[in-house]
Amino acid sequence: MTLSKKEISILVEVIYSIVFTLIFLPYFYENQEKTLILMDGVIEKIFQIIISTVIYFSIAYSVLEVIYKKKETVDERDDMINSKSYKLGYLLYEFSLFIFIGYVCSKFQNKELLNLTGNQELYNSFELTDGGIVFFVLVLLAFTSIIKSLYQFYLYRTV
Amino acid sequence: MMLKNNLKEIRQKNGFTQEELGTDVGVSRQTIISIERYRYKPTLELAMKLAEKLNIKIEKLFYFDKE
Repeated sequence: MTLSKKEISILVEVIYSIVFTLIFLPYFYENQEKTLILMDGVIEKIFQIIISTVIYFSIAYSVLEVIYKKKETVDERDDMINSKSYKLGYLLYEFSLFIFIGYVCSKFQNKELLNLTGNQELYNSFELTDGGIVFFVLVLLAFTSIIKSLYQFYLYRTV
Repeated sequence: MMLKNNLKEIRQKNGFTQEELGTDVGVSRQTIISIERYRYKPTLELAMKLAEKLNIKIEKLFYFDKE
């Protein structure tokens, strides 16, 4: 199976999303019950993410440019594939956000119900911190990015 | 009804490679391959460019298969 430069670029994005999920998400998962200000080393972590992202994509695209010296034409077929895959990614992201909003609403509703029962311990455990929201949004971004890129790759192979 | 085309036959008759034809009409070789395999339906603009380049009427190049 021979892959074109465009297809390899998509795979580079998929690999990045998976590596990001494996390396950086555990940190946000562990700190999801804290507020952002109280997270240990959150600024360092953000700098790590930015720097590693820049280094990863610079190296990956430089290697691609060296291997595939010939410039590839971007045409209407690419536009069609991109619009289809980005539309799917956008719909997934929007749908997941609605689910998240529903989850938050039900959580607060349950919390109020617990308040009525007088179970203070359970009441206090129903917290939603900004750390939790950041974790959820990052999971959502990684998930939609992987699905979008895989769909884009599938379209490049089949259309 | 499926939109089909005679692009492959006419391109070969005119002595163009997929790469050459693609470059002449401003698309990639992969797009020409996709059109020839009926996987991708080109826009009217690209269809007209192809017809003009191959010196053939657009309705002779693209047609509906009624079966």
